[in-house]
Amino acid sequence: MFSYRYLFSQLVRRELRQKYKGSALGVLWYLVNPLVLMGAYTLMFGFVLNVQGASRPHPYPIFLIIGIVVWTFFAQSLLSAAPSLIEQGGLVRKARFPREVIPGSAVMVQFITFTALLVLVTPIALALRGSLSPSLLLLPVFVVLLFAFTLGCALVIAVLHAHFRDIAPIVAAALLPWFFITPIFFVANQLPPVQSHPFLGTLLDWVNPIAPFMLAIRSVLFYGRAPELGQVIYMVVAAAVVLTLGRAVFARMQGELAVIV
Amino acid sequence: MTAPGLRPGEIVLRDATRSFSIRADQARTFKGLLLGARADGPPPVPALRGVTLHIEPGETVGMVGRNGAGKTSTLRVLAGIVPLQSGEAASGGRMVSLLELGSGFSRDFSGRENIYLQGALYGFTKAQIDARIERIIAFSELGDFIEVPVKTYSAGMFLRLGFSIAAFLDADVLLIDEILAVGDEGFQRKCLRRISEQIAGGTTVVLVSHDARAIERVCERVIVLDAGRVVFDGPTAEGLLHYHQLMGTEHGGGESIRAGAARAIEVADVELRDGAGRAGTVFRTGAPLQIAVVLRERTPVPHPELALEIRSGEGHRVFSTVTELTKASTRIVFEIPSLALLGGDYDVSLAAGEPGVDPDADRTLRFSVATEAGAGGIVDLRGSWRELEPARVAP
Repeated sequence: MFSYRYLFSQLVRRELRQKYKGSALGVLWYLVNPLVLMGAYTLMFGFVLNVQGASRPHPYPIFLIIGIVVWTFFAQSLLSAAPSLIEQGGLVRKARFPREVIPGSAVMVQFITFTALLVLVTPIALALRGSLSPSLLLLPVFVVLLFAFTLGCALVIAVLHAHFRDIAPIVAAALLPWFFITPIFFVANQLPPVQSHPFLGTLLDWVNPIAPFMLAIRSVLFYGRAPELGQVIYMVVAAAVVLTLGRAVFARMQGELAVIV
Repeated sequence: MTAPGLRPGEIVLRDATRSFSIRADQARTFKGLLLGARADGPPPVPALRGVTLHIEPGETVGMVGRNGAGKTSTLRVLAGIVPLQSGEAASGGRMVSLLELGSGFSRDFSGRENIYLQGALYGFTKAQIDARIERIIAFSELGDFIEVPVKTYSAGMFLRLGFSIAAFLDADVLLIDEILAVGDEGFQRKCLRRISEQIAGGTTVVLVSHDARAIERVCERVIVLDAGRVVFDGPTAEGLLHYHQLMGTEHGGGESIRAGAARAIEVADVELRDGAGRAGTVFRTGAPLQIAVVLRERTPVPHPELALEIRSGEGHRVFSTVTELTKASTRIVFEIPSLALLGGDYDVSLAAGEPGVDPDADRTLRFSVATEAGAGGIVDLRGSWRELEPARVAP
């Protein structure tokens, strides 16, 4: 795997450049979409739907964009990894390199824009909050855990989609409702139904595997405090289990790739 | 990946077995999985059935066989791209393959950028590619096109780039699949020269081709595959003969039209021999060629004759001759001291019988003449150029 580092970096750079090649803004387009989403959701959830009313976190746009950035990384990673092995079929049929580099590079492309956005958002969040807390040092750790978790999911989805072409549309369909039950634009235990049925909050914050990542990153960036220990343990275990499982499934199913893609 | 215990350039296949499903859509759908539906279509085609091979470092091996014999599958297995269903495949050292022309190129990126990507695909680092890129670009003769997106390239330009990359990455094993045919004669020759340089440097070369001439020029060993099995493994001259025989039977006797039973004098056997008397099907311009014929009389003919005709691959008559026979059952040789034919495929037809016998009536054999640099056409006129005194040329 190590000797294929250069291939990995080539694939990442190629993907980064290819998508917006010839456009005036170039790679800046990667940053435009989340910002537009932030504006639209602020308008929609904040003012039109008035989510959570007066108890809405403040400043709401910053609260929103942290969730959007994390979600965009996760969702776009899965969506771009799913067809990646088929799209790169020419490479797969040509040489015997570790096939993991293909979905891996798809996730890495999203990870690069994700970190770029975090670098952009963090100083703004800190300036608006007006305080600096040592918990911020945990941010890189959480980001790496999120990367590992997402990579594990992406490996499974990519190799499954190569075998069963229904996987990508299923993932795309699942991500839509998934977005709405993920605490991106709300704080679960402040929603009216959750206040009357507290177990719904537990469900939203713990059963959804992406929620602890979302909450932990927002905790250090938005609230400036370390997350609950439970969330940290959850993330470590989820990242380790999913990545191990993802690599095992990929290793098991990758043999026939050159024949089926 | 590189197997332990193998020297760089060594290749081992043991009892390799692999079949392919030939449905258009290889991937299963969830529906098929859930309903347990069996795939429609023909049963899997066995591409390799217990193939065992051992190729030593530095060997040059040609792989021939009819379409679907398993040649490309063998290369894919050797390259480690397609796994075996049973048996073993292993190779030592770094392997570079030239399999699908133009595949794996990023269409929106320049030739230069694609060189880096392809190098990376075979596990090379940036520094290793940097060290080779100038030679790759020079060999490809692409000039300024190297900076242009490859989507604008012609098939020939793809071949130039693809071959240059594969040939200058300095692999221990080079696998080439039937792609040299795309290039023009000049570039083909250049490729063959480069391959021979690599051979001299100790690279193992495995070449799949239908072109007997290319195989003959490059390979010292030939493996003939038929229906997924090795039917011949040995020296090139013998291997190509085997291959031609195989192709002859394939065409339902197209290469040797037997109507002997009904003929008064049957051409029982024909053999083409080189100067040393060895049977072969590939010859060189300027070298001796003997056509040895065995005739068998079935019913008496008053004034028997033997007719011989040589036609080019396109069917044009190049030469014909008739000789009177003293005996009808005999062995007779037509001796050509120095073959005047230039590179290409030729058919030699023979028939015996009453005067005026059609040479096409009994036996036809195909042979090839190796292409030489510096002349074109079908006949070598043995001419030479001589420069005249400068003073004699009118101003």
